[in-house]
Amino acid sequence: MKKNLLLKIMGLVIIASFVLTACGSPAATEAPEATEAPAMTEAPAATEAPATEASSADVALRWRTRPDNQEEIDVYSKISTELDAQLDGITLTYEPGGSEGSNYQDQLRAEVAAGTAPDVFWIPGTDVADFATRGLILNAADLAAATDGYTATDFYEGPMYHLTYNPETGASGDGSGAVWGLPRDVSTFALYINLDLIAEAGAADPRELAANGEWDWEAFLEVSQATRALGSDIYGYGASAWWGPYGVWLNASGGGFFTEDRTACNLNSAESLAGLDFQRSLYQDYDVAVPYGEDPEPGFRAGKVAMFQNGRWATPGVRTVDFNWDVVELPAGPNGTAGNWLFWGAYVINANTEHPEEAWALVQALTTAETQGKVAALGANIPSRVSQEALDAFLTFTPPANNQAFLNGIDPSAAPTAEGPLWAGSWPQFDQIMGPAIQGVLTGSTTVDDFGATICDEANKAFNQ
Amino acid sequence: MKTQSRIDAQTNLILRIHIIWRGLLALMAALSVWMIWARMAELPVWQKILFSLAAILVMVFSSYGAYQFSKHNHSGRMISLTLDYLGFVVCFVFALNVGEFFIGIDALGENFGKGIPYLGITVLGYFLGMLEEYFPTRNNASENSLKTVSKWVMLSGFLLFLWQVKALNGIVYFFGKFAQPGGMVAVIGLMVFGLSLWSMNRPNVAQALNVKTRHEQVINGWLFLSPNLLGFLIFFAGPLLLSFYFSFTDSDAIRTPNWVGFDNYAKILNIKFITLDVPDQLARDVVDIKVYDEVGRFTFGDRGILFAAEDKFFWLALRNTLTFVLFAVPLSVLPALVLSNVLNSKLPGMKFYRAVYFMPSIAAVVGISLVWQWLYNATIGYINYFITLGIEFWNNLFNVAIIDPKIQWVSDEKTALFAIIIIAAWQTMGFNTVLFLAGLQNIPGELYEAATVDGAGAWDKFWGITLPMLAPTTFYVVSTTTIQAMQVFEQVFILMNPPEGPNNSTITLVLYLYRSGFQNFKQGYASAIAWVLFIVIFGLTLIQFQRQRRSSIYES
Repeated sequence: MKKNLLLKIMGLVIIASFVLTACGSPAATEAPEATEAPAMTEAPAATEAPATEASSADVALRWRTRPDNQEEIDVYSKISTELDAQLDGITLTYEPGGSEGSNYQDQLRAEVAAGTAPDVFWIPGTDVADFATRGLILNAADLAAATDGYTATDFYEGPMYHLTYNPETGASGDGSGAVWGLPRDVSTFALYINLDLIAEAGAADPRELAANGEWDWEAFLEVSQATRALGSDIYGYGASAWWGPYGVWLNASGGGFFTEDRTACNLNSAESLAGLDFQRSLYQDYDVAVPYGEDPEPGFRAGKVAMFQNGRWATPGVRTVDFNWDVVELPAGPNGTAGNWLFWGAYVINANTEHPEEAWALVQALTTAETQGKVAALGANIPSRVSQEALDAFLTFTPPANNQAFLNGIDPSAAPTAEGPLWAGSWPQFDQIMGPAIQGVLTGSTTVDDFGATICDEANKAFNQ
Repeated sequence: MKTQSRIDAQTNLILRIHIIWRGLLALMAALSVWMIWARMAELPVWQKILFSLAAILVMVFSSYGAYQFSKHNHSGRMISLTLDYLGFVVCFVFALNVGEFFIGIDALGENFGKGIPYLGITVLGYFLGMLEEYFPTRNNASENSLKTVSKWVMLSGFLLFLWQVKALNGIVYFFGKFAQPGGMVAVIGLMVFGLSLWSMNRPNVAQALNVKTRHEQVINGWLFLSPNLLGFLIFFAGPLLLSFYFSFTDSDAIRTPNWVGFDNYAKILNIKFITLDVPDQLARDVVDIKVYDEVGRFTFGDRGILFAAEDKFFWLALRNTLTFVLFAVPLSVLPALVLSNVLNSKLPGMKFYRAVYFMPSIAAVVGISLVWQWLYNATIGYINYFITLGIEFWNNLFNVAIIDPKIQWVSDEKTALFAIIIIAAWQTMGFNTVLFLAGLQNIPGELYEAATVDGAGAWDKFWGITLPMLAPTTFYVVSTTTIQAMQVFEQVFILMNPPEGPNNSTITLVLYLYRSGFQNFKQGYASAIAWVLFIVIFGLTLIQFQRQRRSSIYES
């Protein structure tokens, strides 16, 4: 009986300790705001939780960005530790987000809705308007104005246009009254080329063609056809199925997704349709491309795709292949440019943060040339600060040998189109309409004419009526 | 009156206090309704309504309880116990919240695991103490020392466990929180409701209120049910009703939702069928293109009918979902039926095969979908690789020139949905097989013996005995598989890129509501889609129920 009683008591104590363990973490006991905040259930309580090492005077901040692999997680964790020591009175906790784009964003949205999102987080450029107009991210214009040495022109113009866009006045740039965040990094597309396949096919080296100014759609098609002829399982070109890869063909022919003021659909313009038709021909007429919708990366890594269109972020993965490879800029289209994108994402401040000043200090620290250099050294992205020093450093992050191809892609002379949100509509809704419809064209189930006849009727619904 | 004469003074006092307590609770509930509407302007309407309803229920039942107490009726006790129990649970949860238990899950995960090895020491100590029971000795001294050692090992292991899980920190922090107003309210609530429950359970009080054994049994029954029932109400029925409310709002899950009435449903169901002069007439020529989109068109000779909808994605999703159900259900039920009959045989090794066929059901959908994604890859996937090998072999063998189709399983509009159907059927078949196996093993062997005596063959037995006797199992399998198929999401979300597929050929209802709610910030609209889906599933299940009733041999 005694033994049973003892066991029962121990069982109860174990259950109680289950509760007490959750309550009695150092995080909860030492967080400075914990004893002051009257509303314990509110979001900031969660914000305070990770401040495990915080001294009583420190402000605890959580921050998050989307890493693509463990190496990036390690780099960001190291940066967080270093900034923690560097920023007086701030204690940092880095939280890696999901590795897949949708997971990261879906999780973040859910946390924002629940009030448990970190103080500072990264979002892709296309989401900035949605987050800003819903009041989910802080307008740091006042904080920026009070910061010595801050100016929007330190960063690439494209991202900063959107990050300083004031939806109330339509103004942008320094003094617009809006600063939604600062760009983490920039990126752009290049063609990862399998030099062995190209040599085997006897095709011209795209790098030489590019150097001679002969790298256009025609030359691209020739290389694609030559390599495709090597075998039924060898493809000349491959690209993933999302808006980035197909967008460049539209841009390069003088078209694009939106009208110039980004207030209406432009997918049915003659230029856009011409670009789409050329891309369609790669899949349907010339049969040189990995079928649209199939992931081309495994094929490229298996040595069966000659030219693989992807961003700088694909470099760490491609570095593991066992054939000779390099990169080349995208071929020039009918309007004389490659129509490349300037991809970017930004660190933004949670509108509900209790420490906006400290959060702004963190955003600035995360986007210094020094911090960006550390991330760029991994080879996955390009610093977002306009600095010759940063670009020179980037060129040393090899392979690929031809890093210049990426810099050519974001050079103002190449007129890259900056990835951006829709201030006058909903980007997710626009993308949801556009993506499957374009896939229909590229897989041959819809003609370009049929697409052009109806797409903007549907896509214009994504803009504010 | 007879009963009253037997009540002692102490019990009488308890009853009087309870009448006051019930009245006080009713008054507090009424006051809280007033406060909700007069002092809490920032509270969303739905929360005001919800809290008001709860408070009104407490007010009504508490008043009624007080009245029943005054009559010395046992229902007063029942009401009192129910309200106090619920109040106790609410205060307990509130206390946990005050102690920040719910946001300490990370700490729990981090620290509790560290303590578990020390619990092992405690268990070891316990087994040491048990040794004397299994290996009795005549030496009392050694038995006593073993017991002492056992106790100390257990105690030290347990203390180390408590130290490792930082229980002391927890106690200090947890009780420190109760010095704050929120914590005090929780403690007072726990004490008052606890005291009330304790006093109501006193035999004298029960006797004074004419409580019979059957009343006690009812209370105990509900008490045992309560953990599950409360969980159901809070985590299932509550969100269900909440989503019903949201379906009438423009909720984006962030800002206070506005009531929009039936707008969401009207948008979903706003469709038009228009006769076309020529089959390829553009939609914009016949409908207001700012409102409607073309969903599809039907051609009859040189005429056509246009099907337009305000939300074309919903109708495309419904079409795809129903197509999915139409193929996935038979493909996961019929092979399962055949397979279960094979696996029901007494051949050696059948248990192994049962496990093998069941394995896909327990594997994670995400993992399975990723594996299939590789298999389906049109350029380097194994499926196409084997098709190519087979065709080459056939061409070489018979000197023919069959063209390799190089099927683009997931990137072709014509095959994408079919590719998902194959995965779903493959994954569900094993589980259905096990259900059929269970059904088969419940069919009395005498029926087959009698049929054999009557000269029935294997096929006759299958048609005449197995199928009819399996009817309840078949009904269950078909119903659950249909419901599951109507909710298809994970396979599409993981396998397809973009998930909607070429020309929206793989957009499904759950995918669409997920996109609307969690990616486009349209929680209200997503809730309306969810309720329409619920109605469709409910309708299909109802039809199946009716068909089952008509055809069941058990009913007849």
